[in-house]
Amino acid sequence: MSSDKNLTKRPKLSVVVIAFNNELYIEETLESLYEQTFKDMEVVVVNDFSSDRTGELIDQYVSDKPNFKAIHLPENSGGCSTPRNTGIANTTGQYVMFVDGDDWYTVTACEKMVEAIERTQSDFVAGQVIRTNNYEIWYHKQLYSRERTNLNIREITGMLFDSLSVNKIYQRSFLDKHQLRFPEGIHYEDIVFTGKAYFLAESFSIIPEPVYYWRVVENADAKSITNRRYEFENFENRIIAHRYFDQFLKENSGALYQKEKNNKFLRHDLKLYTNDYLLFDEEYKTKFHVLIHEYLHEVMDEYSFINLAERDRILYYLLYLGDREAFDDYIAYINGLPTAANRVYNTGSQYYFRPSKAGKNHEKFMKMARPEIGFTISDIHLDADRFSFKADVEVNSIDNANVTYFWSLRNRQTGAVLVSEKAENQTIEFHAGNMTEGNYYLSLNVNHMGNLHKLLVKMSNITDLQNIQVQQGKLTKSIAVNQKNSFSIRVQPTTFSKQVKWKLQQRKLAQAGQKKQKTSNSSFENFIKRWIPKLPVQQNWVLFESHMGKQYSDSPKYIYEELLEGNNKFKYIWSFQNPDTVEMPGSAIKVKRNSLKHFYYLNRAKYWIDNQGMANLAEKKEKQVYIQTWHGTPLKRMGYDQKTLPSTRELENLKKQTDAWDYLISPNPYTSKILKRGFRYAGEVLETGYPRNDILIQQPIAIKQKAQMELGIPSDKRVILFAPTFRDWDPNSFQKVLDEVQLLSKEIDEGSVILLRLHYLLSDKISQFELPANIVNASNYQDIQELYLLADLLITDYSSVMFDYALLKRPIILYCYDLEEYTTRRGMYFNFTEKAPGPVCKTIDEVMYFLNTPDKLNEYNESLGRFVEEFGSLADGRASSKVIQKILNKK
Amino acid sequence: MESKNIVFVINEYNNHGGAQRVASILTDQFRADGHNVAILSINEQKNVPSYFDSETPVKVLHRDNYRPPKDIELSSNLKQMKFMKVSKELKRRRRLVQQRKEVKEFFEAYGDEEVFVIVIQVYGMQWLLPILYKPNIKIIGQSHESVKAAQSSRRYKRILSQYRQVSKFLLLTHNDAEHFEQQGFMNTGVMYNPSPFRQLPNSVDLYRKKKIISSGRLIPDKGFDVLIEAFAKAAADVPDWTLHIYGDGPAQDDLENLIRIFELEDRVFLEGQTENMEAALKDSSFFVLSSKAEGLPMSLIEAQSCGLPCISTDCAPGIREIVEEYQNGLIAPVGDVHLLARHIKKLAKDQDLFMAYSENAYESSMKFNKHVITQEWYELFEELGGRSIEQ
Repeated sequence: MSSDKNLTKRPKLSVVVIAFNNELYIEETLESLYEQTFKDMEVVVVNDFSSDRTGELIDQYVSDKPNFKAIHLPENSGGCSTPRNTGIANTTGQYVMFVDGDDWYTVTACEKMVEAIERTQSDFVAGQVIRTNNYEIWYHKQLYSRERTNLNIREITGMLFDSLSVNKIYQRSFLDKHQLRFPEGIHYEDIVFTGKAYFLAESFSIIPEPVYYWRVVENADAKSITNRRYEFENFENRIIAHRYFDQFLKENSGALYQKEKNNKFLRHDLKLYTNDYLLFDEEYKTKFHVLIHEYLHEVMDEYSFINLAERDRILYYLLYLGDREAFDDYIAYINGLPTAANRVYNTGSQYYFRPSKAGKNHEKFMKMARPEIGFTISDIHLDADRFSFKADVEVNSIDNANVTYFWSLRNRQTGAVLVSEKAENQTIEFHAGNMTEGNYYLSLNVNHMGNLHKLLVKMSNITDLQNIQVQQGKLTKSIAVNQKNSFSIRVQPTTFSKQVKWKLQQRKLAQAGQKKQKTSNSSFENFIKRWIPKLPVQQNWVLFESHMGKQYSDSPKYIYEELLEGNNKFKYIWSFQNPDTVEMPGSAIKVKRNSLKHFYYLNRAKYWIDNQGMANLAEKKEKQVYIQTWHGTPLKRMGYDQKTLPSTRELENLKKQTDAWDYLISPNPYTSKILKRGFRYAGEVLETGYPRNDILIQQPIAIKQKAQMELGIPSDKRVILFAPTFRDWDPNSFQKVLDEVQLLSKEIDEGSVILLRLHYLLSDKISQFELPANIVNASNYQDIQELYLLADLLITDYSSVMFDYALLKRPIILYCYDLEEYTTRRGMYFNFTEKAPGPVCKTIDEVMYFLNTPDKLNEYNESLGRFVEEFGSLADGRASSKVIQKILNKK
Repeated sequence: MESKNIVFVINEYNNHGGAQRVASILTDQFRADGHNVAILSINEQKNVPSYFDSETPVKVLHRDNYRPPKDIELSSNLKQMKFMKVSKELKRRRRLVQQRKEVKEFFEAYGDEEVFVIVIQVYGMQWLLPILYKPNIKIIGQSHESVKAAQSSRRYKRILSQYRQVSKFLLLTHNDAEHFEQQGFMNTGVMYNPSPFRQLPNSVDLYRKKKIISSGRLIPDKGFDVLIEAFAKAAADVPDWTLHIYGDGPAQDDLENLIRIFELEDRVFLEGQTENMEAALKDSSFFVLSSKAEGLPMSLIEAQSCGLPCISTDCAPGIREIVEEYQNGLIAPVGDVHLLARHIKKLAKDQDLFMAYSENAYESSMKFNKHVITQEWYELFEELGGRSIEQ
């Protein structure tokens, strides 16, 4: 008798098989056990009162196999726990494994597992699971990629994500010692059993061997409507199981690890249900919200969500708040459906989803990287000079009054950008007549309160896309979709030879770009750089730079032009960041800043004339003369005077610069004093006035006309120059400027235009916006001095602009809405309100008042006069020539 | 129905792969219905007969059997003075331009008439790109393999860049089509392969043959080694049964060795290539496919059409579109010798099970009936022909 055998010899391994209505699969399961390479084992098959042929098949199979035993439960237990516990009770092996009646083992599973548990002496060992829907290994990368021996759950809490009981081999003594059995009467028994096992085990191990095939039957009906009622019980059961586990942790000093357990619950369990939320019926949803709200508050607080992915964080936070309306809206929102209320709002560039009730801490949890923007395109038309389409743009849950958008086509090869024309009936039009070779990619640009959201158009955004190709002269334009599904208009030369030529050109350009980077560290260059400084200094070479090579402007420019006027034998060199884009008079050599050429001239030119700093680029020699013109009368504290002292490194750099200066040009005694103090500068100061301000005294009409032409401003207009400073601490400031400009645009009279001058960091941003006709963006205009001539009135804040402009004796409005904050942050050298050359306004309404009542503005003429007297008395229109006389032409 | 112009674009029209078989079956159907069919073949094999009717016109693009090398970057190779490589690349580019022109001329011969171009392998697309913009030409791209199989080669990238703008991109299964929809394709569809024949089986007779059949090129990808090993494991339990493998290829010697090692010379037979698969199937009991990668294998479709139950590895989503597990066949993970052996034993030993599977198989194969599939092609032509063209 087989039972005698069992009594006499205890097998090493017992495998418990449970089966309920598995007639299709049970034989395969048993065969996979029978064929195991490991033989010292017994198999106990527990049939949970199946209603199909399962029981019969089991009996048939075990009948001639002495180490197989069948147990038939007298009634259905409704779960896996009772059969498994029954199985355990009927086994005698030193080790125990479990398998379900529809899954199977690999042929070496038992051998590998027994080997591992004997080798490691762990309480249990886990092996790899393969799911048959994709044949990928369950948590392969995260957990099962390599062998890990003798772990404790407290050092690898990620293991909690694997809550299966079937892929493991257990020491029978471990199960018995802790009376660890499957909890009867509940579903999701594995969550409890495996969870307990993790925390009870002193050690467990992982082997990277495939052990268990988990049969996943893809069933299309699984989510059908009839199943929904059942599903809520399913959710309830899961929560019940989790509560058992939570209870266990509490009672077994595992509370420290509740956080990790919660993490798994949120990332795995709860996610399954929020993913399916749209499929639930009303009754389900109601119950779901009640239960999950209750459960979340039992075991965690809202900070459990803070590191989750955006969508999960927002969803769970709303569940935690019990805010069903907002939750439903957010689900709708992320599925591209309209929401009941407008819930998306922003502060500056940061977006949030709004819960139903206000709360102080909401924003931490409701942050969104960007608003969802949906759009579709249809009826694409392309001919020789027109590209058009119909578009439907959807920005959900946002007040659409604040949303504007335009479309752009960007040539990726040349960087050229075409912007759409406004047209009727949702039809967007582009003038396609002057497209050049290259691929033009189409983007939607949505402007919401100063935040520009750019979306590249994909083929999936387009309905019924036709392949269109048109000839236009020597070019062929065709609709093309690239590998990444982006839509473009490809413009190519029609003939093959031209195509080749163009491609070669492109390559040359691309390589030119690469070369520069490559050579910067080449040994040749290093070699040359050692020798260049040894070359003699050339007495008649003058090197200029303005604002680190960003512009052709400021005092260096005016000194240069003054030199051009005279009969001089100098050779001039200018350094620029983009020398090709700068236009200037005279025969100066243009070099790229920080290039080898620039280094050469830095070393050989006798004179350096600059307004910011270039002493870091090369060692200035004794024989060389550095004229520092500086770039404005200081208002805010600088250098050593700053409220928070710069780092030692920054101060070292500053010292290197100021040590190199031979002459510092100053517009007034006040500046001389401040700069000497702030920069710790002990060299010679030339109080000549600023060369750049010469034109403000001379006021040449030709320059004014040139500026008018270039900016397209009729001469009969009143020009208001608006030049706010850059507030790097305030992400909202750009939006504020934009809003206020729009406001001014509406309020000023028809005879006026606003000339907008922003910090160069913002000039790119502003150029992407469509501005009203009476606003002219002059942020990219090279020389601000020329704009002054044009302007009848200046609005500014803390900028040195006011010191120059005041020389014109034209009205100035100071718009300082954040005067206190600015003073606190930056600090000023004098009482601003007292000395200001015009009214200091706190609100834009005040500014408007002064704009529209010039009489009131005239009342400030006296302050303006005082201001000019104090800061501009040296300006006589001859500063440039004075500088030249004193330094370059002395003798 | 008015006569339509249909062109198949094939890598090698006289290769004996599944895709060529499909194209030849459809060609016969289309021609029988009075349509005008031509083949545009990129290369050809010398002196090898094809599946196609000799009256079907075939244009071969590379008469000299030129095979373009992988495209390379010119300048970097020039700098490294790899002149051979550079000259090959220059030749490739010259030939591409030349042959594109030739293809253009080939289609210009149709004038303004509507032409349906069925590109059965994506490789041929590189010569067709210029005709994408001809409004009278409707390109239908196909991929006769699973996404996973395509991803193991350069074909996947070619699909991503060259099939987005064709009129229709046909996959073999919904699963594969879904994958490309997720990649943003707007033109996907599903088209099954047609079975060239159907034969109502006498299941009892089939079972009595006690023959297991398999077919395909003898290459490692087809996994015949696994099949032979699985059969070896089962052999003792199913003493009267034999295994017959049809096809030829480079792995023949290795497989013969394997048979000798298992001492199964009188049980396992490498039958070579057959002209008449139908006859071979009718003379067998059930079919086993042991491949590592597939699309929607013709061999399974043909076997089912003769009422043979099928055992297959789970090597592509297409398998489950043909074999319904525990209804008309059995499925095992790729390379799982043990389960494959158990399946073989099960089907060989259980006549009732065999009979049920056999009848279900025949019924289920109706969806691959060549008349059904041909009709679906005509519906597709109607759909594409009906689209308005903007010039």
